[in-house]
Amino acid sequence: MPDSQPILLQVERLQVKYGNSQALWDVSLTALSGGITCIIGANGAGKTTTLNAIAGVLPVQSGKIIFAGDDITCLSARQRVQRRISLVPEGRQLWPGMSVEENLLMGCFLPQLRSRAQTNLARIYDLFPRLKERRGQLAGTLSGGEQQMCAIGRGLMSDPQLLMLDEPSLGLAPKLVQEIFQLIVDIAKQGVTILLVGQNVNYTLQIAHQAYVMELGKITLSGPGEMLLKNDHVRRAYLGIAESPGSAENPA
Amino acid sequence: MTAVDFLNLLIAAVLLAGIYAVMSVGMTVIYGVMKIVNLAHAGFMMLGAYFAYEFFERFHIDPLIGAALALPAFFLFGMAVHWLLIRWLPKSDQPTLSSLLLMFAFWLVLQNIGYLFWGNMDRSIFTPRTLTVLTLGPISISLLRLIVFFAAVLCVCALQLALSRSWYGRAMRALIQNPYAAQITGVDDERIARITFGLGTAFAGFAGALLAMLYSFSPDFGRPFLIRAFVIIVLGGLESVSGVAFGALVLALVETFSILYVPAGYQPAISFGLLVVVLLVFPKGIGGLLERKWRPA
Ligand SMILES: Nc1ncnc2c1ncn2[C@@H]1O[C@H](COP(=O)(O)OP(=O)(O)O)[C@@H](O)[C@H]1O
Ligand SMILES: [Mg+2]
Repeated sequence: MPDSQPILLQVERLQVKYGNSQALWDVSLTALSGGITCIIGANGAGKTTTLNAIAGVLPVQSGKIIFAGDDITCLSARQRVQRRISLVPEGRQLWPGMSVEENLLMGCFLPQLRSRAQTNLARIYDLFPRLKERRGQLAGTLSGGEQQMCAIGRGLMSDPQLLMLDEPSLGLAPKLVQEIFQLIVDIAKQGVTILLVGQNVNYTLQIAHQAYVMELGKITLSGPGEMLLKNDHVRRAYLGIAESPGSAENPA
Repeated sequence: MTAVDFLNLLIAAVLLAGIYAVMSVGMTVIYGVMKIVNLAHAGFMMLGAYFAYEFFERFHIDPLIGAALALPAFFLFGMAVHWLLIRWLPKSDQPTLSSLLLMFAFWLVLQNIGYLFWGNMDRSIFTPRTLTVLTLGPISISLLRLIVFFAAVLCVCALQLALSRSWYGRAMRALIQNPYAAQITGVDDERIARITFGLGTAFAGFAGALLAMLYSFSPDFGRPFLIRAFVIIVLGGLESVSGVAFGALVLALVETFSILYVPAGYQPAISFGLLVVVLLVFPKGIGGLLERKWRPA
């Protein structure tokens, strides 16, 4: 992806607290329009917190979130959905007692989106024929992979400009993991900007145009995905590999 | 007991269940969306009874029409109460003491308004229909109870349909099942809560108006029904209309058939006893039935 793309999302020195404990310290990141931006990091690093803050479900202590040129830091979650920011949350967060179709329809709950509900539903069913087969089934009875598809489908129902995905491959079989990553690449090709949090660091960095490493609530490293894949620290801490091919002199 | 007695009791129980369902469903939707135990429900029922009474006494309007008018009137009233009072309560995914106290206090206020306007004399609504009995061979059914049953069931079914088919109904269920997920899809929880409180109040007023056709009432009206609503809700789970229908049927069956075994003086203890039994069988009680598997990050 060329670097000349405009910036869609810019997060500047974000600070978020849960009560007295601070979860994010001066987090800054940018997502270029149409690109795949990734955040990797250990459990508890603050990745989910970052996405929730961008989605507007967590109050921000200080810092700025700029989306498509506008400061949206003070907007409600609903207003951010209106601006076409969509979150596929950690753990899917479906409505277990509602059918697959109802779950998807809730993705365009906002009044100005409702007129496209049927068109978008058909599109999602084209993308996930499995969901079409199970449209009447309760979401709580789906398999993990199907639930993830349903969650992604719901996120796409609002025609997002920015789609944030939080650990979409968590708990899925290896073959499904591959499918999900392929799907994310395909979605990005259709012009949807992706902000991906991945615990599968290898895959995540392979598809990332730009990647951030988050540790203890701070961004500690950033760069193009393939560059971080070669980074010693990343390889040691996240890939379980002792050294990069170019630095054979380092003992394990 | 003969087969005919049994059939008569069974019919009486089913007719009673309809009323019980309509008077509990309002509390259920309010609890589901807001996690508020609406103690003022009994107060709204009492106002609903007087609403039908006033229309009947002053304008000779049939109490059934009065009950139908109570739906929109109490819907607006409930939305106003939410706007004035409820929305200031701190948000919580569990019932809070402050919400219990507020609703209890509000019930007392409504009761005292009732005493102010209508005194403590018992009133009742008497129409030509009141004593009509339909007989089918050995089976006899009170026409009024039958009408009230159909009115109640119609409204409960309409609510169920609205909850399952409309955008607002879906949003309401979404808020009940996973508020975080509802928030990220842009559901405006305050607005949904206001509509829900209106709906719950509308059903309370409607139920009160229906009950006023069957029983006499005073400003204290509703108290014995409140405890029944608790039993029904605990029996059926707090978050679905079908659960309420189930709980209503169980309570009505137990109450009706207990006539055979329990002296009349002990009747009021039945719903209480059932509540205790249910809480023993589900030791976690209401909270256990509602346990959230997940909390927002
Ligand atoms: N609801 C919460 N209340 C208090 N602390 C929280 C909450 N959610 C997350 N945290 C804390 O914030 C930090 C970041 O968490 P999170 O954003 O979930 O990390 P990640 O998604 O990278 O695993 C952790 O230390 C975690 O314990
Ligand atoms: Mg996380």
